[in-house]
Amino acid sequence: MITVNPKANEVAAPLDLNNLTPEQTALEIDNLNLFYGEKQALNNISMKIPKGQVTAFIGPSGCGKSTLLRCINRMNDLVDTCSIQGDINLNGENIYGKHVDVAALRRKVGMVFQRPNPFPKSIYENVVYGLRITGEKNRRVLDEAVERSLKAAALWEEVKDRLHDSALGLSGGQQQRLVIARAIAIEPEVLLLDEPTSALDPISTLTIEELINDLKKQFTVVIVTHNMQQAARVSDQTAFMYMGDLIEYSDTNTLFTTPAKKKTEDYITGRYG
Amino acid sequence: MKDWFKTGSPWVWLSAGGVSLSLISVVGLLWLIASNGLSYFWPSQVHQFNMVDEKGQKSVVIGEIYDRERIPASQLAHRDLGVEIEGDTIERLLIKTGNRELVSLDFRWILGPQITEQSLPEDIAIVERRSNGNFYGFLEQIILDGEIVDNSRLDELLDRVNEFQEQIRELQQVDIGAINYNLERLRLRERKHVIDGTLTDEVKQDLEAQTQALKDEYEVLEKDLTALRDQVSRDQIVMRAMGGEKVTINFEQIIKVTFNNQLGFFGKVAVFFDQIIGFIFDEPREANTEGGVFPAIFGTVLMVLLMTVIVAPFGVIAAIYLHEYAGKNAFTKLIRIAVINLAGVPSIVYGVFGLGFFVYMVGGNLDRLFYPETLPSPTFGTPGVLWSALTLAILTLPVVIVSTEEGLARIPSAMRHGSLALGATKAETLWRIILPIASPAIMTGIILAIARAAGEVAPLMLVGVVKMAPTLPLDGNFPFLHLERKFMHLGFHIYDVGFQSPNVEAARPLVYATALLLVTIIIGLNMTAVNIRNKLREKYRALEH
Repeated sequence: MITVNPKANEVAAPLDLNNLTPEQTALEIDNLNLFYGEKQALNNISMKIPKGQVTAFIGPSGCGKSTLLRCINRMNDLVDTCSIQGDINLNGENIYGKHVDVAALRRKVGMVFQRPNPFPKSIYENVVYGLRITGEKNRRVLDEAVERSLKAAALWEEVKDRLHDSALGLSGGQQQRLVIARAIAIEPEVLLLDEPTSALDPISTLTIEELINDLKKQFTVVIVTHNMQQAARVSDQTAFMYMGDLIEYSDTNTLFTTPAKKKTEDYITGRYG
Repeated sequence: MKDWFKTGSPWVWLSAGGVSLSLISVVGLLWLIASNGLSYFWPSQVHQFNMVDEKGQKSVVIGEIYDRERIPASQLAHRDLGVEIEGDTIERLLIKTGNRELVSLDFRWILGPQITEQSLPEDIAIVERRSNGNFYGFLEQIILDGEIVDNSRLDELLDRVNEFQEQIRELQQVDIGAINYNLERLRLRERKHVIDGTLTDEVKQDLEAQTQALKDEYEVLEKDLTALRDQVSRDQIVMRAMGGEKVTINFEQIIKVTFNNQLGFFGKVAVFFDQIIGFIFDEPREANTEGGVFPAIFGTVLMVLLMTVIVAPFGVIAAIYLHEYAGKNAFTKLIRIAVINLAGVPSIVYGVFGLGFFVYMVGGNLDRLFYPETLPSPTFGTPGVLWSALTLAILTLPVVIVSTEEGLARIPSAMRHGSLALGATKAETLWRIILPIASPAIMTGIILAIARAAGEVAPLMLVGVVKMAPTLPLDGNFPFLHLERKFMHLGFHIYDVGFQSPNVEAARPLVYATALLLVTIIIGLNMTAVNIRNKLREKYRALEH
């Protein structure tokens, strides 16, 4: 049986995900439908993601969990054939509204990808990239941001003596933490992690998972993973998706111990997927 | 046999054979050019031949052996050579005898059987002159200001004269050149005032005063020049030629005097490098058949650099638009096909286009708008280095576009997404991430462009290259870079020396030497670019895996 992260259990009583107050809600997805050309990839998804917690999306390959994640910072805009109906509200504001500045949205909703993708620049320049985009030139502010972000990403001790070396010289796990540091340097509200450990070895995976636990103190974290143990270990809420449908969404403990739906049970007990 | 084919080794052999064949041809080409070109600089010995001709008359021929060949005896059967011929071929030698004031031809063929004696007298001097080519003969005496002095003072007097010559050159080209340039500008300013109808008495007086000032300055300089010229033409040497004739040569004419037969190996090496340096840094003389090729080197490099500066931004911008912004539709495809096909258009066609569009249309209109005072003589409406660079830029544009686009396509989308996810706009992503990563590919495009442009001659003949340019496109007169000027080019120089020169025999080694230089320069330019590219590649290497 899957063991549930004891730290996740420490959170007092599980939240009632259907009746979150606006203060508790970070994101509200409302009747979201997504099409790639003619093909529908997400069917009528509605859910509320609570603030300051870790929410995991699980499900078999092709179930739409990554697609849903990419809707939250509008990375799906880059796909030409993609069209979206429905709303996603961030702080009560629809991010698919008419006058939304996508770049500003992405500064509020950071994202870390499956494979580490540091820029071919120094470690320092990687971390301050987002700040430089906003026009920050003050050396002290940048230095502080680098130290703060790298510490938050548990990388500071390893790289503090070689901040100006190329980021491409880091190991895979270090690169992934660097990318996380890069994402949190601009202090987003939400951090999206798209299978952040799937390209990493077990030890690096463990480091990142511990990191995720720390991150939720400051950010709302949404993580996509195909690894159920990981979802159980790191998340407070888990959403199970299948074929573009949101099958079940509840607190992690409940979902893994007493799933309400047959499909969820089949999946978490390894009957398919 | 069938099994052998299956192992794949025939293909290995075949491809290895192909590679070695190309290697051999490249090495062979370089070796041929290098050996022929470099031997032009190696000091050759000067032979003295005692000859007896068919009538029994004796004569002496002094000169360098340029070539030797065997001809069938039957070819000369109608001539009685006065000597017995052994075998059925006769050797004949091509001798460079110089002394153009005595014999009209620099070269003559002599027949082997007629040579009675061949020797290498140590005291034969080769006098390299500013005009009339080399003089071969014996140094008889030196006349210093009308008095005969010891022959050992030759070097000292030569150094003195060369110093004065350098001063004269400087005075003429820099100081007097600047005055002439400014006088011309004053004249044009006056004409402009006339055309605009603003020539008031005040302006006129002002201009006249300035002109007068320049003219006064000129007179001072001219006096200096005359004084220097007097110094230079003070002394003479008397030479005895092979026929015994005595010839007086003024020091003014002499560039240097060498005694090649006295040189040891190291002496020859020294002369060899001296000649190479002279070839690279001197200006051509005698209808380009003697002297150096500096203006041509300068013109080639300047034109290629200008071309690079023009083609790189345009090519990169075009590639970015095609790859990043243009819609992926049939029209874009059509444009891309057109761009690729442009690379296949013969270069002379670009020359014609450049002449019609840049020179006559753009240049002509520029003249009408900005330089009406010089008309009817054109400023930009005539072939020049700018138009050449632009024409070659168009010629090489497809190369840069194609390789830049390939570079852009190779960049992993994770880079773009990473930047976009941090709140960068597409333009910011392009500037900060994509272009730096694509820079090695852009450099590859530039390398290919340079390699193609530096070797082009045909279009340049229409849009700016000349046999002999009086001034370099870069000098000390404002605005320093004169893009409207015509220029010399090594490729054209080879053609000109090889096919248009009055002295074909003398030109042949020069053709090889110039070709060697052109190849060296192109390789040099390419290596610089390759080096830059490798540094950039090193920086972004980890991304390629």
